[in-house]
Amino acid sequence: MHKNFKKIAAVVVFILMGIAFYENFQLMPAYKGLGEGVSNYIIHNGLYDTGSLNLITAVLYDYRAFDSLGESTVIFGAVSGIVLILSRKMLPVSSRGLSFIVKRTLGIITPFIALFSIYVITHGHISPGGGFQGGVILASISIIFIVIYGSAFDYTMLSPDKKTFLETSGALTFLFIGFLGIALDGVFLNNLNIFNGKIGSLFSGGSIPIINIAIGLKVGAGLAIIFYSMIQKTLERSWVNHD
Amino acid sequence: MQILEFLLLIFLVLSAVMAVRFDEELISIIFLSIFSLILTALYMLYKAADVALAEAVIGAGLNTAIFMSAISQIRHGDSD
Repeated sequence: MHKNFKKIAAVVVFILMGIAFYENFQLMPAYKGLGEGVSNYIIHNGLYDTGSLNLITAVLYDYRAFDSLGESTVIFGAVSGIVLILSRKMLPVSSRGLSFIVKRTLGIITPFIALFSIYVITHGHISPGGGFQGGVILASISIIFIVIYGSAFDYTMLSPDKKTFLETSGALTFLFIGFLGIALDGVFLNNLNIFNGKIGSLFSGGSIPIINIAIGLKVGAGLAIIFYSMIQKTLERSWVNHD
Repeated sequence: MQILEFLLLIFLVLSAVMAVRFDEELISIIFLSIFSLILTALYMLYKAADVALAEAVIGAGLNTAIFMSAISQIRHGDSD
């Protein structure tokens, strides 16, 4: 009797779900082809809706900003899992790094890498790039510090606690912009009219530059934490032996 | 321009096969990096600059570093 009741309840729930799905899909508009669909709308009106010259950034951080929020949550989950498994101790176990020539050369190049990453992040709405790509370039600076100078140097420059603070502040900024959209305009992650300069200038694109900076901080700090926790056990024995 | 695209596609397939076929992990990783670099050039040729930047940064840069750290852990038989 009890088992039969469970089966009947499951069948009823499935039938109700099927009806609900059917009703929802009835509401969807029919496919109109590429000439009239959503892509054509974005190509024609994206520049005036968002004020961002780069239409890919306009889609990622304005029309589909909720999707980007989900992606950054995925990165947060990956960082949490890797740190939980790999790093038993967040101590600066380090090597001496590579030779003198490599250290000097990378010491000259690294500021320019940092400048390029800041350029890619802040010009995400004008030129190709954006928060994600620039954030990975930021993380590559931390990788250079760990491999070339040893992970103790990276620990003294920016300890994992500070990186965690940066990552969390990036995510919270993104969420704050989203809730500010609810408070001011009534829609989650609505494009606020913060930077309303001339189209094509640096201070344009509404709230897109702020979201770009937030995503860049979050991705860069998260990937740097991943690499730090992966390397700190292994670098001691393997890469230094060639010296 | 078509010749360049044809050459790049051939080298793309060649580097992918090399990355699978080699037994030495270090050579495989380097060929994977070359694969990402050729793919970046192809994306640039198809005028997809955003995807090209992401592929160059993640495929050629970050993946290589993470795989290197992984094989340096494998080499010494560090199992714990």
